[in-house]
Amino acid sequence: MKIIVADDDELQRMILSAVLKEIGHTPIEAEDGAEAFDLLCKHRASVLVCDLSMPGMDGNALTEKVRATIHDRYVHIIMVTGHDQLAARQHALKLGVDEFMGKPLEAATLIARISIAERLVRHEALLQEKNRILEEAQRIIEQDLRAAARAQQRVLPGARVDGPLCSFYSAFVPSSFVSGDMFATFDLPDGRTGFYAIDVSGHGVSAALLSVAIGHLVTQDYFLANSFAPDGTPEPARLAAALNARFYHEDGDDYFTMFSGIVDHATGMLHFCQAGYPLPVIVSPSGATHEVGEGGFPVGLLADVPFDSGSVPLAVEETLVLYSDGASEAEDAQGTAFGEERLAQVIIDARARDVTTIPDAIVAALTAWRGQPSLDDDLTVLVCQRRTQE
Amino acid sequence: MIKVDTSEPDICVVVPDSERLTAANATAFKDHLVGLVDSGTARFVIDMSGIGFVDSSGLGALVGVLKRVGNRGEIVVCGLTDSVRQMFRITRMDRVFAAYPDRAAAVAALKETL
Repeated sequence: MKIIVADDDELQRMILSAVLKEIGHTPIEAEDGAEAFDLLCKHRASVLVCDLSMPGMDGNALTEKVRATIHDRYVHIIMVTGHDQLAARQHALKLGVDEFMGKPLEAATLIARISIAERLVRHEALLQEKNRILEEAQRIIEQDLRAAARAQQRVLPGARVDGPLCSFYSAFVPSSFVSGDMFATFDLPDGRTGFYAIDVSGHGVSAALLSVAIGHLVTQDYFLANSFAPDGTPEPARLAAALNARFYHEDGDDYFTMFSGIVDHATGMLHFCQAGYPLPVIVSPSGATHEVGEGGFPVGLLADVPFDSGSVPLAVEETLVLYSDGASEAEDAQGTAFGEERLAQVIIDARARDVTTIPDAIVAALTAWRGQPSLDDDLTVLVCQRRTQE
Repeated sequence: MIKVDTSEPDICVVVPDSERLTAANATAFKDHLVGLVDSGTARFVIDMSGIGFVDSSGLGALVGVLKRVGNRGEIVVCGLTDSVRQMFRITRMDRVFAAYPDRAAAVAALKETL
């Protein structure tokens, strides 16, 4: 181990160096504090034995400089002082000295002090190595998560989808890298438009794995095959029942809430199944809002529960807005939830300006409410606007 | 995080010692109650009067315990606050967990089923 020995007294340095060599270390001698500091940096040494009184930069000044500037490793500082310099030692301790040795030097004391320092230096090296491994592992995990987030984004529709009969505007904000939310929109035959939004319980990677699995499973064909009665009547509850049968596990805890809908443009009706998802709102041109649905069992939570299809008129002039519970439950610094009423006001105000701005207006309002850029829970906003037919 | 009152024979009254049942404590809550189920307790009153917020993970934990109890017993809740009642309504948990205004009413109702 390299040890910097700083003393203006040549004899003192020689004695220290001789003992250190004897026990297998490499002493590097310095005549004053400034030289000791340069050698410490040059040799990246972790142990310094220094005299308190030296011309120029003394032991205290050297200690202060080491503590203020060397942060990539811990430098163990052993200071040599007179035995009776108690006040000086207390002052030096405050500045950052680790141990003291009295004059005249005893070889046994020096050897004991150095072996303590050596243990600490080894321990620190071990910690640094562990830390390096952890940082590397974290870097790889984050890299994987970013790749997973990109993969998830690719499953999602774009922020704006202009179908022949309906436009959708959306915002999708994961609380961290990946999201337990998922949604999709479908142009269906017979002048109908389909869509769904889900929110897997919890958040993070395990929720995201399920949300992406659902995103891949529920294609347009799957949606079509599972959302209609044999006579062709829209029955979105069938989709929830099919997914419930598929994702319910006796010993599992994962489940998701869902809202799925079919807009029948010929009749002007929205057929929907509300499976525990927050109640969407319909905004009328006058700015009045009303909630859609009354609730329903979440999907995958309980076996063989009934799911209901409902329907409400959705006029061309009206706007349907879905949001995941990350919106209403977002809390400010005091723990107050944003709530449905504030959300409704944000939606009404944004719609009055331009219906396409609703998703971003909600994200902006929640970000301002929370007072920080990240969200606690995953957020999805999906706005459905029927198009006026020419 | 949970206080358990077993002064009633065969009925375990559980009082979560937190104002929230969320992803942060849902697993610990469930593990604790599943431990009680596995050691023979089958009738629970969960006193939610101190809980202002249950998130999806909290709901999952409650249902997880219910699944563990299965047909051997019963779980009822009491003292639902407005926000929790709303959450139970939207997820239909009001049809899964019988709810009572307070602990005495819940214990009395459970006793009748004994």
